[in-house]
Amino acid sequence: MSEAATLGTSPPSAQQRAPLRTAAPQSGFAPWKDPSKSPIVRFENVVKRFGDFTAVKDCTLDIYEREFFALLGPSGCGKTTLLRMLAGFEKPTSGRILVAGQDITELAPYERPVNMMFQSYALFPHMTVEQNIGFGLKQDGMPKDQIAKRVEETMAMLELGKFGKRKPHQLSGGQQQRVALARAIAKKPRIVLLDEPLGALDKRLRQQAQFELMRIQETTGTTFIIVTHDQEEAMTVSSRIAVMDHGEFRQVATPGDIYEAPNSRYVANFIGDVNLFEGKVVKIEGGFAEIDWGPGLARFKSVAPEGCAGDQQVWLSLRPEKIRITLDKPSEGNNALPGKVVDVGYLGSISHYHVELANGQRVKALRANSARTVERTINWEDNVWLEWPPETGIVLTR
Amino acid sequence: MRRWLVILVPYLWLLVFFLIPFFIVFKISLSDIATAIPPYVPLFTGLSDIGNYLSQLDFENYTFIFEDPLYVNAYLSALKIAGISTFLTLLVAYPIAYGMARAPKEWQPTLVMLVILPFWTSFLIRVYAWIGILKKEGLLNLFLMNLGLINEPLTILNTTTAVYIGIVYSYLPFMILPLYASLEKINPALLEAAADLGSPPWKSFWQVTFPLSIPGVLAGCFLVFIPATGEFVIPDLLGGSDTLMIGKTLWNEFFNNRDWPVSSAVAVILLLVLVVPIVLFQRNQEKQREAAR
Repeated sequence: MSEAATLGTSPPSAQQRAPLRTAAPQSGFAPWKDPSKSPIVRFENVVKRFGDFTAVKDCTLDIYEREFFALLGPSGCGKTTLLRMLAGFEKPTSGRILVAGQDITELAPYERPVNMMFQSYALFPHMTVEQNIGFGLKQDGMPKDQIAKRVEETMAMLELGKFGKRKPHQLSGGQQQRVALARAIAKKPRIVLLDEPLGALDKRLRQQAQFELMRIQETTGTTFIIVTHDQEEAMTVSSRIAVMDHGEFRQVATPGDIYEAPNSRYVANFIGDVNLFEGKVVKIEGGFAEIDWGPGLARFKSVAPEGCAGDQQVWLSLRPEKIRITLDKPSEGNNALPGKVVDVGYLGSISHYHVELANGQRVKALRANSARTVERTINWEDNVWLEWPPETGIVLTR
Repeated sequence: MRRWLVILVPYLWLLVFFLIPFFIVFKISLSDIATAIPPYVPLFTGLSDIGNYLSQLDFENYTFIFEDPLYVNAYLSALKIAGISTFLTLLVAYPIAYGMARAPKEWQPTLVMLVILPFWTSFLIRVYAWIGILKKEGLLNLFLMNLGLINEPLTILNTTTAVYIGIVYSYLPFMILPLYASLEKINPALLEAAADLGSPPWKSFWQVTFPLSIPGVLAGCFLVFIPATGEFVIPDLLGGSDTLMIGKTLWNEFFNNRDWPVSSAVAVILLLVLVVPIVLFQRNQEKQREAAR
């Protein structure tokens, strides 16, 4: 099998890795758009209640082969419960879970074709690294020499070669994390579940580990499902993200779509920084909506969303980096609002500006410091103009 | 200086209540029996006569003990009874400790208290109570006969079986508590991980739960085995004439034969026999402390 062949090769170098990743979104990897593809995982109207508390409310979701799928949300949103139901540790109150078309709702965890990497790693403390990684293979009754071979391959892929004979408590946090990942992929499961896999690592190690996860996912061609509360992590690693809140999916889309086309204030707020303007639709003309933002603000133009009608309450979501901040009044064509700088944050590569508008609302804007010196820097108390093309703001109806 | 004082207190305690009594017993074990009060010679009369005093001490009692199969058999039989009852205690205690560790967190302090509860009654009274249960017209026989399971009352009291029952019952908490402590520490995610990797629950028990509970198993076994070896009350009250245990032999030697030198020698040998498991127990505790770090 080709899968076995790729698993055995030594890890590709960094130069080889980079194009692999950047190519993926452009190469049109979008099986969720292809009606001929059937999903590898399907949640069908899954509900989970713990006593009075409903952790997961009627969730329906398809995940496709080779996806790196992220379940993203604040703690208590039901993302871990959903993952644990797929692993078999929790039983849905109602609904079905299918893997490759087969109903696995009633199967015990040890009968399921999925392997999980635990948040606490859950490495067996009385076993060596080799024994930990080989544990799953031993359960399948694989002959000893084959287990040893597979363990060695997996350790090589994760650069764990030196640590085979050590016990988990003799390893650093980053090494333990790699052992936990190695154990989850050693059986070559069709689906690997990752429950906050990088939560225990510090920020630098975490970024390294994210790229490692992506590399492993691509070399093995396995479907990865990750649970995380870290939106940057979800954006970095995943092919699609499901944003969850209170046991429901708020939006399921690619990282790009989630960021550039959020479907609600909740999603816009959850992913990245955003400025929100609240207003009422006055009229719609030629695809553009005229919106009353209340006293003190001009009725700038915005693209009208589908199903938007007059007199409806709406919100405009505007990302800080999409706003240009200038000292002179910009020319016609773009939306522009005057304001006064109240705060400046210089971060080296970029600067943050907080600008107060005529109605008292504060708007965040970003500016890349592309030149080393600028004739006139923008400073506190400066009167400035905020400018953006009408298409960059998104009108949200909920 | 103050640190020395703190360390001094336990050492003084051990010196006064263990080391000095031990040397007295050891000295008596080297003496000869005599019809006197106290019933042995020589007696320490002063430093001036020390040469004569020391010359009268010898290891005669020890050679006597090793030459008489009665004593050797009593030691071996005590070790055997202690070993078997330790194993039986483990078999009974493991499921109890396992159930306690798996019980809802809020119940666990209550369960631990229930295990300790028997200590609130005198040990002697509890062993006496077993006589009432095990004797011919006792509760157990009445119960079984009323159920129609047996026609004749069983002879349990005054047999070795009764000694096993007594030891298992009396020492059960010493086995349950260390087992519970080690089982309770096991991260439940480990069992989930084992299941996730394809191990059914019964296999997970032998591959994960049991190996991780071994420190508790060893601690519990030593805590039962060591005192059970020298046990006197249980074989005396529940055992019959065929139950040979060194604790009983020691008592007979001391109170019936009034042979203090020989019984002291028996006690010293018993202590030496038990040094081996005690040292092993301490090494186990040490290892556990290291693993916890």
